[in-house]
Amino acid sequence: MLLQLHNIFKWVNSGGQRIFLLKDINFEVREGEFISIMGPSGSGKSTLLNVIGMLDGFDEGEYQFLDEPVHSIKEKHRANLYKEYIGFVFQSYHLLDELTVKENLEMPLLYKKYKGAERKAMVADMLDRFNIVGKKDLFPAQLSGGQQQLVGIARALISNPKLILADEPTGNLNSKQGEEIMQLFKQLNDEGVTIIQVTHSEKNAAYGSRIINLLDGRMI
Amino acid sequence: MLKNYLKIAWRNLTKHKAYTIINVGGLALGMAVALIIGLWMQDELTHNDYFSNKDTIAQIFQSQTFNGETGTGPAIPRPLEKAFRDGYMDNFEHLVMASWNNSQYLKYKETSISRTGNFMQREAPEMLDLNIIKGEKDGLREINSIMLSASTANALFGNEEPIGKVIKVNSQYDMMVTAIYEDIPFNASFNDMHYLMPWDKYLTTAEWLKNAEDQWGNNSFQMFVQIADNTTMERVTSVIKDVKKDLNEDTAQFNPQLMLLPMDDWHLRNFFENGKQVGGRIKYVWLFGIIGVFVLLLACINFMNLSTARSEKRAKEVGIRKSIGSQRGQLINQFLGESFLVVLFAFLIAVLIVVISLGGFNELARKEIDFPWTLPSFWSISILFIIATALLAGSYPALYLSSFRPVDVLKGTFKAGKHSGLPRKILVVLQFTVSVAFIIGTVIVMQQINHAKNRPIGYDREGLVQIPVMSQDFTGKYELMRNEFIASGAVVEMSSSSSPTTNIWSNRSGWTWEGKPEGFQEDLAYTEVSPEYAKSLNLKIVAGRDFSREFPSDSNAVLLNETAVKYMGLKDPVGKLLKDEDTENPSEPLKIIGVVQDMIAQSPYEPVKQGMYTFDKYGNASFYNLRLNPKQSAGQNLAVIERVFKEHFPNIPFQYDFVDEEYGEKFAAEERIGRLSGIFTALAILISCLGLFGLTSFVAEQRTKEIGVRKVLGATVFNVWNMLSKDFLKLVIISCFIAVPIAYYVMNGWLQEYPYRVILKWWIFALAMLGALFVTVVTVSFQAIRAAKANPVKSLRTE
Ligand SMILES: Nc1ncnc2c1ncn2[C@@H]1O[C@H](COP(=O)(O)OP(=O)(O)OP(=O)(O)O)[C@@H](O)[C@H]1O
Ligand SMILES: [Mg+2]
Repeated sequence: MLLQLHNIFKWVNSGGQRIFLLKDINFEVREGEFISIMGPSGSGKSTLLNVIGMLDGFDEGEYQFLDEPVHSIKEKHRANLYKEYIGFVFQSYHLLDELTVKENLEMPLLYKKYKGAERKAMVADMLDRFNIVGKKDLFPAQLSGGQQQLVGIARALISNPKLILADEPTGNLNSKQGEEIMQLFKQLNDEGVTIIQVTHSEKNAAYGSRIINLLDGRMI
Repeated sequence: MLKNYLKIAWRNLTKHKAYTIINVGGLALGMAVALIIGLWMQDELTHNDYFSNKDTIAQIFQSQTFNGETGTGPAIPRPLEKAFRDGYMDNFEHLVMASWNNSQYLKYKETSISRTGNFMQREAPEMLDLNIIKGEKDGLREINSIMLSASTANALFGNEEPIGKVIKVNSQYDMMVTAIYEDIPFNASFNDMHYLMPWDKYLTTAEWLKNAEDQWGNNSFQMFVQIADNTTMERVTSVIKDVKKDLNEDTAQFNPQLMLLPMDDWHLRNFFENGKQVGGRIKYVWLFGIIGVFVLLLACINFMNLSTARSEKRAKEVGIRKSIGSQRGQLINQFLGESFLVVLFAFLIAVLIVVISLGGFNELARKEIDFPWTLPSFWSISILFIIATALLAGSYPALYLSSFRPVDVLKGTFKAGKHSGLPRKILVVLQFTVSVAFIIGTVIVMQQINHAKNRPIGYDREGLVQIPVMSQDFTGKYELMRNEFIASGAVVEMSSSSSPTTNIWSNRSGWTWEGKPEGFQEDLAYTEVSPEYAKSLNLKIVAGRDFSREFPSDSNAVLLNETAVKYMGLKDPVGKLLKDEDTENPSEPLKIIGVVQDMIAQSPYEPVKQGMYTFDKYGNASFYNLRLNPKQSAGQNLAVIERVFKEHFPNIPFQYDFVDEEYGEKFAAEERIGRLSGIFTALAILISCLGLFGLTSFVAEQRTKEIGVRKVLGATVFNVWNMLSKDFLKLVIISCFIAVPIAYYVMNGWLQEYPYRVILKWWIFALAMLGALFVTVVTVSFQAIRAAKANPVKSLRTE
């Protein structure tokens, strides 16, 4: 089992009131699954994905990642998981403004201590695959929103993660580009990569093997 | 990875150029100030390190009490030598009698130069451990021998071999060069000792020197000692302190107390109050040390403020790096490394600034400081300092930011303002407190100098020139020279005097007068003058009359100054007699013929001393005072004077001083302090403003989006300016209220040292506060208005 969530609750206290962001979330993900999370805006999709990715905490319940309770995973181990196992695609891209496209792509490889030549080859491959070779020396601010999103996806995929957590990866792309990304995800999934994506599009959701629907932080 | 870090660091620096210039430049400036002050302090504190026996050498000082006023100085009487040699030599390794430092004409073949130096006893070169370049260390053995500094020998002999050559001194006596010693460096005592001649020779040059052998009251000599191995300065002082008092009854009434002043204290701790050592220049060493520390602190505060402010912008980077797999330790290293690099860079610039400005500083501070390229302690302190600053400035972003959960920083819920704002505000307040205090301090120092400068001096120092005539060649030539100079048309009046116009070289006691209080121990400044003294100086006669050539009896006449009349309690002084106290063998009584206005001869910060001017019967002139012809330029006058001088004294170099320049020298120390503190204040303010500028631009940038939205919603430029400036102005006002009492306390204490001082006025403080506020408004507005005027579409797009 890759991950198991049991009775997960998450809340914030605001003006003496407890506002629930996630309510009684229960599900399991096996390796090799392709899951889509859907729901209206504000329903807690991003929040759930952050909890799954251990970027955010929760207030109640149990969450086991690779059969280890998340709260007992040490910071160092978690950093290693991010480095070796998980790739994030953020809703708002989160590229490093001071680095060029090429350098942004290279960064995860640096943490994984690849050799220079290897890095070059892998970056070139990604640029090629996402059709952004011409943009490789530009800074994020010089790209359109969609191009930034592509770079964000490429950066998540470059280190060959076993689990991809993608928050609306195609939100800023046209339908053709979106479809290409979905095809790519499908292909990776076939190769054994587990994918959890948030999406508003029924069509994209259909690529997945399972859909989790959220409403007001609750699974329906 | 390192390359990636460096790239990020470099791009961060180059992308925000203004910020980088402010941050690196400000820190470099602060470091440069601290470095220069550090070098200056080092120079002051190692004064006399040149002498290998520094720790055991001392000068004998004497305190005497006149009318309850105790004065302390290095002048001692000749019989003391015999007393010491007869009974106290087990305390001393060496004992050396010495003359005052005086200038002599040295002539070899056609070369004639004037150099300062001393007559000393034979052991002097040994005691001072002079570095002999040529000849023998025991070079004062023969009475006709002379030792020269290397530069003097070079000026006299050029490439010729100097040893064994005979030079003419003061065109009077022949002396043979026995040794050449290395010039004593600038930051050591005796650095103006360019010749050394035997003490015994000195005693042959004037009758009074010989006569002084058993005169306990004639304090006209110096004595240096090196104490024995097995004793301490304190112990020797306690042994010798009453020697003079015990041996001589006549002077015992003044309670003469002897003490050793260790060589270590000569330069920095040579002030006395009531016979006690009370510090001295050391005060300024610490004062400037504190200034240096503060300026550096200001720069560091800036650096920390701006670095941390900046780093909050980089919270997102932390989040991204963490989600990609960076460990916390890696992030800490990255931030600390960046900070270290920037500090190192700033340090290099600081060194460059110091190297460039050291020449100017040396001139200003009257120093000869070299950059200590090869001093290991300098480099180790610098490295420590670089590391400490880098840690201080870098530890906040390194530790604080790296501790955040990625989601907080990525979602933007991480709020920069709340926790980090307060320390930053405190730092700004601290910065401006220091700056405002500096402004006040500098203004008061300048005011005090001007106050003393504007003090009426009593005579007309413009167009007055003095020529030193302390050589036998001039004996008996006064009348001749006076007539010649006046006839030449360059001089309208001339007089002679036994002291320079700008100093008092001699004091006398031992008079009685009608109505003198019982037991009154008078102490009067004593100057022997030619009849036209008052006339040549334009010194006003306030009662009675001036000396006159028409009254032969004036050779026994005396003029008193106004202070002396009050001091002696004379109701109607003119016509009264001053009689010698010594009734057995009295000198002729002096008749008071007039009272002259007080003139400042010594410190312009102190009251004028009671003084008497007697008729120079025996030709004791040390100076000719020449009133230049005001109808011609000074240059023309001097050319003529030099020509006349050379006609009569072809062998003596023509030397002269403008009295107003000599007088100006009295302000040199304070003016140096004023100028230096002015410069450091300007730098402190500059650094503080740089910091403020950086912070405002940071805040403006942080709130770009907010400003954009507000403007779209209708805010005016003034609204935005107000929003951005208000906070900073508040902080500066708080600083003012902290700085004013501190500055008042410190400066009031400083002024207490000057009996003639400026009164502290409230407007100085108000002005400093207004100045600080003005500077703040200008600095902040510059950024605020720019931000407020920016096109809202542009600022909104940056998100
Ligand atoms: N720190 C917080 N404090 C208060 N409320 C929060 C906080 N974080 C998230 N929320 C609320 O939780 C809800 C879920 O937010 P989340 O970002 O998960 O929505 P989402 O489903 O991803 O929406 P979208 O499709 O628009 O991205 C929102 O209503 C949001 O206002
Ligand atoms: Mg979302």
